[in-house]
Amino acid sequence: MTSLSGALAAATITPPHIEYGQLSPLLVVFGAAVAGVLVEAFVPRERRRAFHLVIALGGLVAAFALIISVAATPSLFAHGSPGHVVAMGAVGVDGPTLFIQGTIVVLAFVSVLLIAESSHGVSPFAAQAAAVPGSAEEREGLLRGISHTEVYPLTLFAVGGMMLFPAANDLLTMFVALEVLSLPLYLLCGLARRRRLISQEAAMKYFLLGAFSSAFFLFGVAMLYGYSGSVSLSAIAAAAATNVSSATLLYAGIALVGIGLLFKIGAVPFQSWKPDVYQGAPTAVTALMASCTVVSAFGGLLRVFYVAFGQLTWDWRPAMWGVAILTMLAGAIIAITQTDVKRMLAYSSIAHGGFVLTAVVAATAAGLSASLFYLAVYGLTTIGAFAVVTLVRDPAGEANHLSKWAGLGKRSPWLAGVFAFFLLAFAGIPLTSGFAGKFAVFQAAAAGGALPLVIIGVLASAVAAFFYVRVIVLMFFSDPAPDGPTVVTPGLFTGAAVAVGAAATLVFGIAPEPLLALASHAAAHLFVR
Amino acid sequence: MNAAHVLAASTVGAGAVVAFWILAVISVAAALGLVLAPRAVHGAVLLAVVMLSLAVLYGVAGAPFLAFVQIIVYTGAVLMLFLFVLMIVGVSAADSMRETIRGQRLAAGLAGIGLLVLLALVVGHAAIGPAAPAGSNYGVLNVQRLAQLIFTRYVFPFELTSALLITAALGAMVLAHRERTSPKPSQRDLARQRVRGDHPAPLPGPGVYARGDAADMPALLPDGTPSPLSLNPVMARRRGSAIRVPGPGVPAPLPPGEPGKDGGPDAEPDREGAHP
Amino acid sequence: MIPGDYVALAVILFVIGAVGVLIRRNAMVIFMCIELMLNAVNLAFVAFARLHGTIDGQVIAFFVMVVAAAEVVVGLAILMAIFRSRRSASVDDANLLKY
Repeated sequence: MTSLSGALAAATITPPHIEYGQLSPLLVVFGAAVAGVLVEAFVPRERRRAFHLVIALGGLVAAFALIISVAATPSLFAHGSPGHVVAMGAVGVDGPTLFIQGTIVVLAFVSVLLIAESSHGVSPFAAQAAAVPGSAEEREGLLRGISHTEVYPLTLFAVGGMMLFPAANDLLTMFVALEVLSLPLYLLCGLARRRRLISQEAAMKYFLLGAFSSAFFLFGVAMLYGYSGSVSLSAIAAAAATNVSSATLLYAGIALVGIGLLFKIGAVPFQSWKPDVYQGAPTAVTALMASCTVVSAFGGLLRVFYVAFGQLTWDWRPAMWGVAILTMLAGAIIAITQTDVKRMLAYSSIAHGGFVLTAVVAATAAGLSASLFYLAVYGLTTIGAFAVVTLVRDPAGEANHLSKWAGLGKRSPWLAGVFAFFLLAFAGIPLTSGFAGKFAVFQAAAAGGALPLVIIGVLASAVAAFFYVRVIVLMFFSDPAPDGPTVVTPGLFTGAAVAVGAAATLVFGIAPEPLLALASHAAAHLFVR
Repeated sequence: MNAAHVLAASTVGAGAVVAFWILAVISVAAALGLVLAPRAVHGAVLLAVVMLSLAVLYGVAGAPFLAFVQIIVYTGAVLMLFLFVLMIVGVSAADSMRETIRGQRLAAGLAGIGLLVLLALVVGHAAIGPAAPAGSNYGVLNVQRLAQLIFTRYVFPFELTSALLITAALGAMVLAHRERTSPKPSQRDLARQRVRGDHPAPLPGPGVYARGDAADMPALLPDGTPSPLSLNPVMARRRGSAIRVPGPGVPAPLPPGEPGKDGGPDAEPDREGAHP
Repeated sequence: MIPGDYVALAVILFVIGAVGVLIRRNAMVIFMCIELMLNAVNLAFVAFARLHGTIDGQVIAFFVMVVAAAEVVVGLAILMAIFRSRRSASVDDANLLKY
């Protein structure tokens, strides 16, 4: 009987306290995703897209409004506190997190516009993903003009995971958020309408390599748990500060967790998935990945390395130096050899990840705010660039081979001009947001004692500028091929995406101060512990 | 002795050590078998062996609930799903053991040894001490304590995993569910098609011979050639089956009396581990 | 029980799984090796939980199982789609995307 009464006594559980208000942006996005699934279940096929657009875009707008209202709550930053830890220690709500979540929501809004583009009768997504490419069923599906509308709830789940990943205050929530953001992306990569074999291959590669790297991440979490007895980031930091014995578990944990996070960013030597996945995925999904996933992954990296390992900078900085150098140089150099515009942009995104890593290495508030600013402006430029890529088409689909882009400037000067502007922003030419971002990042890195990184960064930028300018020259100063691709008139959504990207690149290039001030205000107190 | 004493006793003492060493040897051997087995189905069964021995290890380590969840969910659901998909993908699909990237095996092996040495040094140096004294967490109240944690401190990731499950269900539907684009033919339509087609009569069954009567033995026509109508097309595509469907690229069948000899044109001569 | 032994076993299984992912060419077997790695991680969590006397590690192992189940569903759906298109599960045949 003693065991029974003991069991009864232990059966009382105090209900957990969840701060729904501060979690509301996340909950809205996940709620919109679930509503999307219900739309799939109950709404007839013809009207699904309209419902999905309203729910997805409305949900993202509501989430952005809620983020602003949470950031404006007076109690959040009262008395100089960096923020709150909510949901029983699982989620941290602080300045950098809110900035990153806001960035992700804005970028996701523009990406959903690209995903929803269906002018000229062509949606970028497969009619029947389960049909074998080249079969009669696929032909029937294409003739009927249907396309998978499950991409909207999948995108919203991915965006929810991306919003949670930098906000996760313990490594378990971070791991679950990593999987929540990754699984829909694996699926979305495989749903292209044209060139389905390449798309499925990209999905498989992304999936296998992603699962492999999250197993490494998880083993790192196990090591850190073994070292400190907890997976909460602040508990790990406290254990690292006090307990000097058996630190080998800690170092192994840092290394393995770092491997998992660097994979998501696409840093060398874990970058091999990026070119294939960016090339094979539907371009709208590539835009989503290149902007939102990179921002979210950097947010996670920043939180883990600044909070959990913030006192151990002597230990992880040298390795991060090496990774940053390799990433910048490899991304810039290999991009020179590329002949496919999406692969080229993928390698350029790897190089840009390296530039942000130089600010991460600084491990200061200035480094944090510079990274936040760079990620925001880079994300908008990237979406604009990929939106332009969707517009260059030939009868077989998108014309991604660079040889087909020859002479585009002579046939569609506006489009080529906008794309040239985006490429100049990637190269970091003054008066574009790319220059402001690079300036901020390199300044923070130099102030943080990483001057050699800045020198290598400038060199890598010069190398990268070479291939960007080469594409511009190709577009404007060579003759178009007689059977070359056409530039379709952008539909409303794609036009909006290009316009937002171009406007942001111009505005933040000419007047970056407001956004810079916002980023440094957000990063002033670093992360909540 | 009540249950608490039994449970506590199982986690200390010589019994636990013996159990650990036996299960460790079994699981490592099965893991090596998984990595080296040429056929994927053998690998799946060996993975089941690893999972079951890990389940017993969880029991010895004081996690009885986790042990049962490992058996029921991981081995019983997840691995069975693997086996189902393996059956659909192709049971006899054996890996070609030939390298496509030269030196990849060697490089992977060296990388593995390097990783093993590194991690062994870590774990060896780490001075992982003895187990803490088992508190109330490791007795009869194990499940209650787990429930307390899951529903208080870890309730947010718990709710978040629902997003994962919805995504998984949605993804499976999208990638694996073929929607009908035309109405399903009824029994009447199928019968009408059959009667108006080439073969109104039922198709011939497989052949029955002195040496074998398996379902993949073709029946023979009066002139000794195998009857393609008696073949199950799925089996006919399997490598190494007794059937060669006469057609382009496949030579004329062997004279009667020698069914089942392999050596058709699509058997690669440099495949190791191929089964006849 | 001796937690150090369990962790050593977990390390060995993890490395065997990692080498398996690098060596094998059948996508299903690669995926099974990844599952082996996840199982090894679970064992490490349980051992470390016993080391500290808490059961957070068991809860985390439980969550890892849930995540692995969802990942298996998505992964097998993708692999099945690939198999249907190519009639082959070998990752060497997936070579349309190159340098």
